Formats: sequence, structure tokens, C-alpha cells
Amino acid sequence: MAGNKAGKRPKLTREGFGGQVAYFFNRAIANIRQNILINLLTIGTISLAILIFSLLLLLYVNLEKVTDKWSERVQVTAYFEGELPPRELKVLIGRIQSLEGTGKITYISKSEALKRFRERLRGQDALLEEVSADILPASLEIQLKKEFRGDDALSYYTAALRRVPGISEIQYGEDWVQRFNSFMDFMRLLGLFVGGFLVLAVVFIVANTIKITIYSRKDELELLGLVGATRLFIKIPFLIEGILQGAAGAILAIALLFGLYYGFIHNAGSLTNFNPLENGIVFLPLTYMAYVFIGGILLGFLGSLASLKKFINV
Amino acid sequence: MIELHNVSLSYQRDAAALSNINLKIEKGEFVFLTGVSGAGKSTLLKLLYGGLNPSRGQVLIDGQNITRLSSSQIPFVRRKVGVVFQDFKLLPGRTVLENVALTLEVLGWGKRDIGKKVYHILKQMGLEHKINTTPLRLSGGEQQRVALARALVNDPKIVLADEPTGNLDENSKESVLNILKEANIKGSTVVIASHDKRLTENSHRRMIVLDKGRIVEDSNGRK
Ligand SMILES: Nc1ncnc2c1ncn2[C@@H]1O[C@H](COP(=O)(O)OP(=O)(O)O)[C@@H](O)[C@H]1O
Ligand SMILES: [Mg+2]
Repeated sequence: MAGNKAGKRPKLTREGFGGQVAYFFNRAIANIRQNILINLLTIGTISLAILIFSLLLLLYVNLEKVTDKWSERVQVTAYFEGELPPRELKVLIGRIQSLEGTGKITYISKSEALKRFRERLRGQDALLEEVSADILPASLEIQLKKEFRGDDALSYYTAALRRVPGISEIQYGEDWVQRFNSFMDFMRLLGLFVGGFLVLAVVFIVANTIKITIYSRKDELELLGLVGATRLFIKIPFLIEGILQGAAGAILAIALLFGLYYGFIHNAGSLTNFNPLENGIVFLPLTYMAYVFIGGILLGFLGSLASLKKFINV
Repeated sequence: MIELHNVSLSYQRDAAALSNINLKIEKGEFVFLTGVSGAGKSTLLKLLYGGLNPSRGQVLIDGQNITRLSSSQIPFVRRKVGVVFQDFKLLPGRTVLENVALTLEVLGWGKRDIGKKVYHILKQMGLEHKINTTPLRLSGGEQQRVALARALVNDPKIVLADEPTGNLDENSKESVLNILKEANIKGSTVVIASHDKRLTENSHRRMIVLDKGRIVEDSNGRK
């Protein structure tokens, strides 16, 4: 039988690179349009997941701000005998300043100490009459640099401080500092746990949602393989779809989060006696928003990639 | 064009769907693969486009041993083979035009060329007025022709059709057969699996008869 093939086949151009990219994007958009409900479901799931996550992130950002303020109160008070003449005082301050970890130093003279003492005991004047400036020692209040406020660094610092000549006693509210520090450690650990667990849950849920979308189109995947599509060709539109879903989900989540934040700062003041703005409650910084956005895209992309693995082994 | 050497295939243990098949189909042939239901016709066709791998033996398509190919090379074999599936496998969410276009999109053709070529082949099949319809709104015969169009639109070297006339009325059968003959005249090697005796017996074409997974007859039809 005659094998006269392909003689009259018309000349046809192949799509260029730009054309291919456009093809894949159009395919992804068409897929989204065609399966609009299931896409909305996926975007909803992604955005809910990201919303919960970014809500935690917002809490963390604000808690970190508050604790930064609190930890400024971690300070060491150094006492010395009598009242030093200005020159000796200067030398002493210089020595302390040269210790690693020293922040701001405030000098509290005997009279300043008495003034503070009186303020604290206001209304109990009978007690105060006995007290003269001589009883109270002068002192230096030393604030520590941020990285020296932890337990270990603190004991290391105080040991060094004790060796400075001229200092008779030091005090640093050990108990309070320790409890504060272990509270913060606990909070960070808890945050890490909850956050880590959340990330896993989110990835799991999103991957499953995407798996459902892809499952609903497994006939299409199969057919593309049968007409000779390469794996990459089959996957790319789905991956683009995942990226678009992730991006949409992230934007939606950030918008919702901002809505919550906005509602909170405008209503909390009237409902409770906590004024969010005065207390420095802030929204997510731009860099964090960018992370959330990129995270959403990655989520959509990886979710699609992982789900596709199950269906494409052409 | 198609060669099978000692090919056996079992879906389950102790039950061979195909046993020790040796077969050679030359370029440009038009072949009927017949036998009762369950004889192994569909299974044999699946071997020819890499839909299944044989348990034993070698399958050569256009000189390539496809049992030895990696999964990333299989798509390139499938581009040479147009398959008309028994269940059509048309995508219900896409129009007739989009369904047929798939074959060419996979090859990376430009949009314009695809449009022209798809329109051309659908017109040949008398479906040009159904271009924007979805498959579920078509009759069985029309769906069959869309499936044919998708298989033939890139002028494949090999065309495989599994029961392409099943469930069709006489007129539709006739037109389907003519379409396949035309593809053969244009150069494609055609293999049709069918249990329809009336279709195969009067055709005077090569006929390979399968029974229980074995070739029991191979006649060139020119009695
Ligand atoms: N996916 C499958 N799993 C198990 N057995 C199968 C499968 N497909 C076909 N078979 C069996 O293989 C044999 C050949 O089937 P098939 O190739 O479909 O025959 P035909 O197309 O000639 O009717 C039959 O006995 C059938 O039951
Ligand atoms: Mg069959």
C-alpha cells in the first residue's frame, strides 16, 4: 500500500517563547473561569489560613514591641558609700560605661533618692519625718543594652560590675527579671509551636483543597498525556493557577486583617478603657506584608506541585 | 511502522490478556483487528501508544522500542500516534474547537495556525457549524467525529481507533470508515479494533483476528 505521507502538509509556524507564556497564562485563566466555584473555594481556604497566620504575626509584632518597652525596665542599681565628689563620680561612671552591655547611666544623688522615697510614701508623712537624706545612699541606675537583658548575660554583667572598685552593693530585682525573662522565653516557645503547627496545618489543608481541584480535572490531565503533552506542559498552567490563587488569597487575607485591625483600633477605645493607638498598637510592617504575600504565592505553588505529583506519572 | 515481538501482558497473575504476540504492520497499511469481546483488542491498542507496558516482549513504533523509553520520551511517541478512544475522552468543559485544538497546542503550534487547521478538519467532517458547541450537546456520531478530528488533526503517522463504529447508525459508520480511509490515503498507517463482523468482513483489508489473547488468523483480505 502506498506510503505517500505528509507531502501536502501546510507549513506551520511554532509558537515563540512569548506565545508559549501567553498560552500558559491564558490556559490558567480559562481554567479558573471554567471552575470558578472550586477556585473561589481554594482562594477562600488559602486566605483563611493566611489570615489566621498573619493575625498571629500581628499579635507577635505588637507583643514584641510591648516587651521591648518592658525590658527597658531591666536595670541594675549600683550603690556606693557616701556621696562621691564629682571627679571621682566621673571616673566611676567611666569605668561602668566601659563594661560591655552598659546602656544609659543615671546618677541618683542622696537628695534625689529622698525625693523619690517621699513620692512613693506620700500620705504617710509621720513615717517620713524620721528620714533624712543621710540615711539613703546615692546610686547609679544602669540600663542594659537589649542583648544583655537575658538571665545569663545579666549575671555575667553583674559579676563584672561587682569587681568595679568603689561599688559597695548592687541590686537588680533578680526575681522580677528572672520571671519576666522566663515568661518571654515561654511566649516565644509557644509562638514557635503554635506558628509551626499552624504552618503545617495550613500547608496540609491547602494542599488538600488543591488536590480536590486537580482531582476534578484528572480526565483532562490524563487526556493531555495521551495526546502527547510533556509533563511540564501539563503542569505549568496548574502551577500558574496555584500561584494566582495564592496571590489572591494573600491579598484577601491582608485586606481582611487590615479590616480587623481598623475595626479594633477604632472601637476598642470606646468599648474598653484600652486605647490601642496610645499604646502603640501597629499594623504589620510592609516587609512582613511582603513576606505574607510571598508566602501565599509559595503556598499556592507548592500546594499545586505536591498535588500534581499524585496525578501525573504519565 | 509497528512491530511486536513476543509480547505478553497480564493484568492479573495466571490470566494473560495477550500471550506471545508477534506482529508487523508496515507503513501505510490499513488493518482491522478483530475478535470477540474480551479477546484483547483494546489491550493491544493500548500497547501501541504506551498506555500500557507489556509484561514481556518488545513493542516498536516507527523504529523506536517504546518499552525501553523513559516516561519523559513517551509524549514524543504519542505525537506520532493519533488515538480514537472507545469512550472518546472529549473534555466536556471545552468546545469542539478547543477539544480538537489540544493535539496541536501540545505541539506548540501558534494560535492562528491552530484555528485554521482545526476549522479545516472540522469542515471536512461536516462539523463546522458545531465548532463552539460542547461535546455533551452532540449526538454519538458527531462526538465520534470530533474524536476522530482530534486524532487526525496533526496528520499522525499512525492512527489507532478502538471500536470507532460501535453504537453508530449505518450512515455514521460509513462516514467514520471513510474518514479513516482518507487518513490512510494521506499517508497514515491505520489500525481499527472492532468486533463488528459486518464492518470487517467485506472490507477486503488485512484482518488480524485475536482470540483469548492470541493471534488466530492474519489474512490480507484479498481472497
Ligand atoms: N484494566 C483491566 N484490568 C483487568 N483486566 C482487564 C483490564 N482491561 C481488560 N482486562 C481483561 O483483559 C481481557 C482483554 O480485554 P480487552 O483488551 O478490553 O478486550 P477487547 O477489547 O477485545 O474486548 C479481558 O479478559 C478483560 O477482562
Ligand atoms: Mg475493547
